[in-house]
Amino acid sequence: MHLPDGIVPVELALAGYVASGALTAFALARVNRLPDPRAGIPRAAMLTTVFFAASLVAIPVPPMSVHLVLSGLMGVMLGWFAMPAIVVGLFLQAVLFGHGGVTTLGLNGLILGLPALLAFGVWRGAGRRWPDVAALAAGGGAVVLALAIFAAIVLAGLPVALDAGAETLAIKALLLAHLPLVLAEGGVVLVLLRVLRRVEPALVPHV
Amino acid sequence: MSDAAAPAPASRPADPRVRLVMAVMLAFSMASVGNVVMVPLLGAVALAVLACSRADAVQVRSRLRGAGVVALALVLVLPFVAGDRVLWQAGALRWHADGLATALVMGARLLAIVTVTLALLVPVAPFRLVAGARALGVPALMADLAFLTLRYLDELRAELARALLARRLRGGKGGWRGLPEYGVLLASALIRGQRRAERVWAAMRLRGYGTAAAMPGLPPLAGRDIWAMVWVACGSVGLVMLDRAISTGAL
Repeated sequence: MHLPDGIVPVELALAGYVASGALTAFALARVNRLPDPRAGIPRAAMLTTVFFAASLVAIPVPPMSVHLVLSGLMGVMLGWFAMPAIVVGLFLQAVLFGHGGVTTLGLNGLILGLPALLAFGVWRGAGRRWPDVAALAAGGGAVVLALAIFAAIVLAGLPVALDAGAETLAIKALLLAHLPLVLAEGGVVLVLLRVLRRVEPALVPHV
Repeated sequence: MSDAAAPAPASRPADPRVRLVMAVMLAFSMASVGNVVMVPLLGAVALAVLACSRADAVQVRSRLRGAGVVALALVLVLPFVAGDRVLWQAGALRWHADGLATALVMGARLLAIVTVTLALLVPVAPFRLVAGARALGVPALMADLAFLTLRYLDELRAELARALLARRLRGGKGGWRGLPEYGVLLASALIRGQRRAERVWAAMRLRGYGTAAAMPGLPPLAGRDIWAMVWVACGSVGLVMLDRAISTGAL
């Protein structure tokens, strides 16, 4: 769910940089309040590599396939660290593989970073009491929010001459194609957190 | 992730800071183009940068595939759904001239930006790129994070690919039915990787490693590098001004 270069107006791309930069700076300020901020780097790096590797798994949604995003998982496991980790992951994807974009790095940071922070909030609020429900909601809810932000940005950036009916149809098709991803992400995050809670509970915060 | 980049010939700037700055300047100037008559110029600039950067054209082309698919989809879909001036009609299907122009501009911008980014940055070793980003002001925490991510990227991807292949060979379920098993695979990869990463990171910190020491040092910018940036900055501003002049009818 990456916004490529050249699709949105440059003003929107610049606004994305400003918003994403401010959010990352805020997240880094929260991380720097920890007793040892650098202690979280190995975990964040592992999750960032998992964020990359998620593209290995294609979920068939005929006639196409969608890939796992895992921003909800990053939010649950990294907390405030998720935002800089996602920005780093997106930067490396853009400059090494041409996925996403250099000009849309800020917008993509918002599309995936905000849902990660929402998942962090969901898990912190309900993870201890209802871990399975919270895992499902964090995984699936992150995809729903990412889709909503993606659709809003695309709508704001599309040419005004676009036919309103076609616009609605395109957005509906996008949401329909990604609906299975909401279920898949929720399921994968649920299974993953269950395994981690049993085998390595130290890896799962707030439980 | 391989750190072995070919040594740069003397004729091109190899400093990662210079390449990053040039890539961002060119990308944003190309993103601001809005006139269809600028499409050939965008293509020419992208090809010129590709030729000057001496990046591996095959590697760049293979990584351009995704962008190519998006650009093609734009050209195939937008003319049918956007615009007022009808170029061609068959029943309910209408092909609009303005929709085609918008699709061409968007597609050309996308391909030109991705080509320029890959041409300038793929020849630089990833660890040097991170060092360059750090030198340009990226916070140390994020640079360290990128550094460790690159350290484990190939390892974890290979491990997951191996685990997925082994599962398939054992007759494991694919698609939807295999998702719970994939969650377990991810969890075990995370646990193993986390333990390894913690050990390596602790050892690195004990030896005094931090951003400054772990990353390759960068020398001061050479005059050639500064001139290359000035030329690219002038070219980028020129591209934006030319597009604005066409939009306002000054040309």
